[in-house]
Amino acid sequence: MDNQSSIPTGKISRAAEFAKATGKVGVNYVKHFGKKLFDPSLQKEELHKENAADIYQSLSKLKGSALKMAQMMSMDRSLLPQAYSDKFAMAQYSAPPMSAPLVTKTFLSTLGDTPSAFFDEFNLTASNAASIGQVHKATYKGKKLAVKIQYPGVADSISSDLKMARPLAVQLLNLNNAEIDRYFKEVEGKLLEEANYELELKRSIEITEACKHIPNAYFPEYYPELSSHRILTMSWIDGLHLKDYLATKPSQEDRNSIGQALWDFYHFQIHTLKMVHADPHPGNFLFKEGGQLGIFDFGCIKVIPEDFYEDYFGLINPNILTDKAQMGLIFRKLDFILKEDSPEMQEFFFQIFYKMIEMLSRPFASATFDFSQKSYVDEVYGYFEYVASLKELKNANAARGSQHALYINRTFFGLYTLLYDLGAQVNMEMPEGVMN
Amino acid sequence: MINLKNKIQESFQEFFLTEGKNPPSVYAFCKKLKITEADFYEQFSSFEAINGELLASFVSETLQKLQGQPEYETFSVRDKMLSFFYAYIEHLKANRSYMLLMYANMEKPIAMKNNAVLEKAKEKFMEFGREMVMEGEEKREIESRLIAQLSMQYPKLLWMMHNGILEFWLKDQSKYFEKTDSLIEKSVNTTMDLMGKTPFDSLFDLGKFIFQNKN
Repeated sequence: MDNQSSIPTGKISRAAEFAKATGKVGVNYVKHFGKKLFDPSLQKEELHKENAADIYQSLSKLKGSALKMAQMMSMDRSLLPQAYSDKFAMAQYSAPPMSAPLVTKTFLSTLGDTPSAFFDEFNLTASNAASIGQVHKATYKGKKLAVKIQYPGVADSISSDLKMARPLAVQLLNLNNAEIDRYFKEVEGKLLEEANYELELKRSIEITEACKHIPNAYFPEYYPELSSHRILTMSWIDGLHLKDYLATKPSQEDRNSIGQALWDFYHFQIHTLKMVHADPHPGNFLFKEGGQLGIFDFGCIKVIPEDFYEDYFGLINPNILTDKAQMGLIFRKLDFILKEDSPEMQEFFFQIFYKMIEMLSRPFASATFDFSQKSYVDEVYGYFEYVASLKELKNANAARGSQHALYINRTFFGLYTLLYDLGAQVNMEMPEGVMN
Repeated sequence: MINLKNKIQESFQEFFLTEGKNPPSVYAFCKKLKITEADFYEQFSSFEAINGELLASFVSETLQKLQGQPEYETFSVRDKMLSFFYAYIEHLKANRSYMLLMYANMEKPIAMKNNAVLEKAKEKFMEFGREMVMEGEEKREIESRLIAQLSMQYPKLLWMMHNGILEFWLKDQSKYFEKTDSLIEKSVNTTMDLMGKTPFDSLFDLGKFIFQNKN
């Protein structure tokens, strides 16, 4: 009955929600220092928890791009302390639904008839909400289906939502202006693409078709005849969300098998398809006993340009770490180091990125890699938190790193995080042509 | 006779749409249509009355269409209201040019002014609105407030919402009028929330209790 009962309307009240979140972060800091006066043992982690809860509460009332923003931030664990990302991870599973008449209307106006004309059974109550749409269960010729329906006006509100999220993001992510512009442009472009269900349908079919040989991975089937620009129909796939799956205490063997499927899936996309599911947050995967991995939601796909591919993956070749001249060259090509930098600055950034590359490519240097090592993941996140806090980077007026690298880095972080959460040991197979 | 009424309505609408204004006189209009003025006045008192009837017919035709769907009766009041507005706007889409011309001659904003041409449509809509409020009170979706005068205003509130949605749609430039869809969703939900049980009802109830039990 209370479907969408308290979604804030209009730009003004949405803006108020954001202002609330930003304001509360400030209040929590004050509270934190107040508490600290009396209890010096109070950890910063607790403060993060309070902030995250407030931000989550405000964000969870918003739909669409704002929610998506929360998701993206929760995925970028490198940029966010643990407490924030835990709260944001919740946003990935819940948002209030559209009414049944609006769902019916969407069918009528984009496919020409009511849901009952297309399906044997159609549940008008959404079974779960995604960031820019919601999912309904249906049956068709004896098959269970998932029907994703997009909220009205999503594409229109993306830009204005993001503008409002800006101050919050500046405060949370500790970014400088040059970086945040790029971050926002990137997010905006991807969001617009994600709001395009026709494109998503085309890519979903392409990628699932190409990846179906991967062992232990399963994908939904897509139904173009039951899809439109606001509706995407696919077969329903079973499985548990990551947290629920881990709660069943799966065997190491199963974890490895899922981790391997995940690794192979990404490996194949990056090195063979040259386009990649760039949204590896846990909400896009399902896990099944027997070590099976279900993959869906191909809304966020990054196409990897050929020249970027060569430079970037040239870097993960473990042999290159000894060839500093070659590495410096690639850093320059990828905009990690800029022409305008003074020699000292060049050296400074070289060291930073050298360490980063060394760390990220470490798994590639061995035949198998155990992602369950907390020390490795902590080292990666610790390093990124350290880098994010560097004055030199914060004050730099130019953004660093090619914008394609932003995606690919994020994809790898997401992937490593998932593998760490799974505690999987993975056989690393080097892509052809990289080891020479 | 019904045919004559339809005939007058149709040719009037056609003239209005192509010329962008009323025919010069009832006389000229009847001559073209080959009917007598008496025939005309038997059906309508003025051109304005034709417009009024047309606007009202959009409301009643929408309702007929909805009542023809078997699942409609099983809906909650909230869903019935939502369905009405979605179907109504869908129905109006086929007559958007006509509606835009009509709108140009109305006093704006239409939610605040009394436009004579909307009178008939208002009657039809208020009938539906009263039905919804009654049904809502029966199903406990709408709170029967102690102050009867307040509950009596509900259908009027719904009519204001109708005008607001209509005006928004007439100005809506978004693709597929998706913004109107959002507005419908949000305003019906807000209105239903206001008419349903709110914290104020509990507060009033508590206040009454304390007042009655103080020594």
